[in-house]
Amino acid sequence: MSIGPLPTTLSPAGARPLPVEGAGGPAVEAVGLRKAFGVIQAVDGIDLALAPGRIYGLLGPNGAGKTTLIRLLAGLARPTAGEARLLGTRMPDRRNLGRLGYMPQSEALYPDLSVGENIGFFATLQGARGEGAIDRALALVELGERRGAPVLELSGGMRRRLSLAISIVHEPPVLFLDEPTVGVDPALRVQFWTHFRKLADAGTTILVASHVMDEADRCDELLFIRSGKVLARGSGTELRATAGTDNLETAFLRFSGLDDQGRPVQPSGAAPAADTTGGPG
Amino acid sequence: MSGRRVLAVARRIAEGFRRDRRSLALLILAPLVVVALLGWVLRDQKQGSVEILIVNDAGPLGDRIVAALQAGASEANDGTTVGAAASKDAAVDSLRSGQADLALVIPSSLQADVTSGTSPVLTVITEGTDPAAESGAFASLQGLLRTVAANLVPAGAGAPVVPTVQRETVYLSPDADQLDVLAPVFLGLFAYFFVFILTGISFLRERVGGTLERLLATPVTRAEIVVGYAIGFSAFATIQVIVLTAYILGRLDVPTIGPIGAFTIGLNVPSAGSPAITFFVAFLMAVGAVNLGIFLSTFARTEFQILQFIPIVIVPQGLLGGIFWPVDRLPDILQAIAHVLPVTYAVEALREVMLKGSDLGSPVVQTDLLVLGGIAILFVVLGALTIKREVA
Repeated sequence: MSIGPLPTTLSPAGARPLPVEGAGGPAVEAVGLRKAFGVIQAVDGIDLALAPGRIYGLLGPNGAGKTTLIRLLAGLARPTAGEARLLGTRMPDRRNLGRLGYMPQSEALYPDLSVGENIGFFATLQGARGEGAIDRALALVELGERRGAPVLELSGGMRRRLSLAISIVHEPPVLFLDEPTVGVDPALRVQFWTHFRKLADAGTTILVASHVMDEADRCDELLFIRSGKVLARGSGTELRATAGTDNLETAFLRFSGLDDQGRPVQPSGAAPAADTTGGPG
Repeated sequence: MSGRRVLAVARRIAEGFRRDRRSLALLILAPLVVVALLGWVLRDQKQGSVEILIVNDAGPLGDRIVAALQAGASEANDGTTVGAAASKDAAVDSLRSGQADLALVIPSSLQADVTSGTSPVLTVITEGTDPAAESGAFASLQGLLRTVAANLVPAGAGAPVVPTVQRETVYLSPDADQLDVLAPVFLGLFAYFFVFILTGISFLRERVGGTLERLLATPVTRAEIVVGYAIGFSAFATIQVIVLTAYILGRLDVPTIGPIGAFTIGLNVPSAGSPAITFFVAFLMAVGAVNLGIFLSTFARTEFQILQFIPIVIVPQGLLGGIFWPVDRLPDILQAIAHVLPVTYAVEALREVMLKGSDLGSPVVQTDLLVLGGIAILFVVLGALTIKREVA
């Protein structure tokens, strides 16, 4: 089935960021953000404005540029062009980092250290106050009992949970989570999302990268990303409606200009949505 | 720079060590084992028994020489034995089979040479595959030949007056053994070697495991990370250097307890200078090694690759740093290289202090300490600079 060009009105990828309501302006912004590794454009001209207190889902296949985008926004990489702003400050800016929570995709824990030592170490560096914050973070991920256990003895899911606890222990206003629920069992996953929602309600801006579509509906807004470009953005409901499907995965494929089996749409000259905005900048 | 964050990094290192006992053991025990072995080998070498075979082609005059040599050997009583072989070929066979260490051929022309006043030529044959051991055997033969002169004097005639040579030294004592001279420099090299490997691997894990990325997403600065690392590892390097210095300089006699016989711990190497300065030099080396480890971890992707730096970073320092051969006897190019290696300065300073008793007033020690401190700071800066470079 060929679905033809999708309307881009809903999701003008690459358009100027939409104005964000609220006094503070966007918590996270990207303007013409690009990052090249040699000839590969990992992030290829992305514009974003993430409003405070909302959960954004960054969805796309492996190698779509999700991690690179997060690293640019977190100031861990320097953009080739354009700029990233966190809470109004151009990144990279070290002074801003205390207000950022970052959960990398890799484990990023010290295996020789105990659970408590790991979180205590990062809590100090991130400027978290007091043992109370550590207790709360560990309780949330249900690791309070394992405080003295070396990370070496933890299962993969427990390590993921500890990693999450570390990234939220200092209660940052902005939270970047790179695949936070990989290896976490379904029950706890629900708790995670409940907590993410609680944080968002309290004003935290959360950007969650994932390639798992079934979590997407928990986000306020989704960004479909592929080959370093934002293909579409909107709520899950909106994106499904636009793509004419009730399956988010199918919607993603259609926005990518692929058919429902993931094969390129033949031939029709119908440019995929993203290409309408991907011209030279 | 925030002291709180620096201390947090340093404490993290300490907490890691507390659980990683094997690395701690490597840092503290490994140098002790190596130095103890070295001390044992150098101090307690067996008095080699040297078997000398004499091929006498000179008849009765030769017999007198053989008798004199045998008398000398039994007088010296140092394990040297003097035997006879029927022919040169028989002697060579014995050398080949390992029954003899050295053969001395007394030529048939001996009588004629002595009569005509020509200096006779004695031939010494050795196996030739182990120059060091053979020069030892050769030395004991020469020692024996010296006694021969006295034994050859005909009965009743006055013995020739041979002066006794007495040896004195400016530093140490004439009895100083190889260990006394080598121990100080091994102290410097080991402080470097083990600390370098541990920090290199530790920081590599930080890069590969993603924790460095997480660190860089916090307000901690690169300088705080490097300084925290330097403090954390230097604390353990300090323990290592203290233990090693104590083992080398000290001596603890343990009396017989039950079935265990009395034994001695420590090498009791004499140090002419202050142990405090000795410690300080080794400490500076260790701090330099911490930061070198951080710096070089940039160029490795796996722990195995860190080990591959040993032949590049450690071995040349061992060869060129003045441990085995004096720096000023190296070829010009190698001398230039030696002068940029920290070990060269550490060895020089440790020798000045431990062997010659120099203190901080000595210009040589001052220069060495300045250079070592400069190198340590240089590597701190290089280490800090490499931290973000890899971030794409």
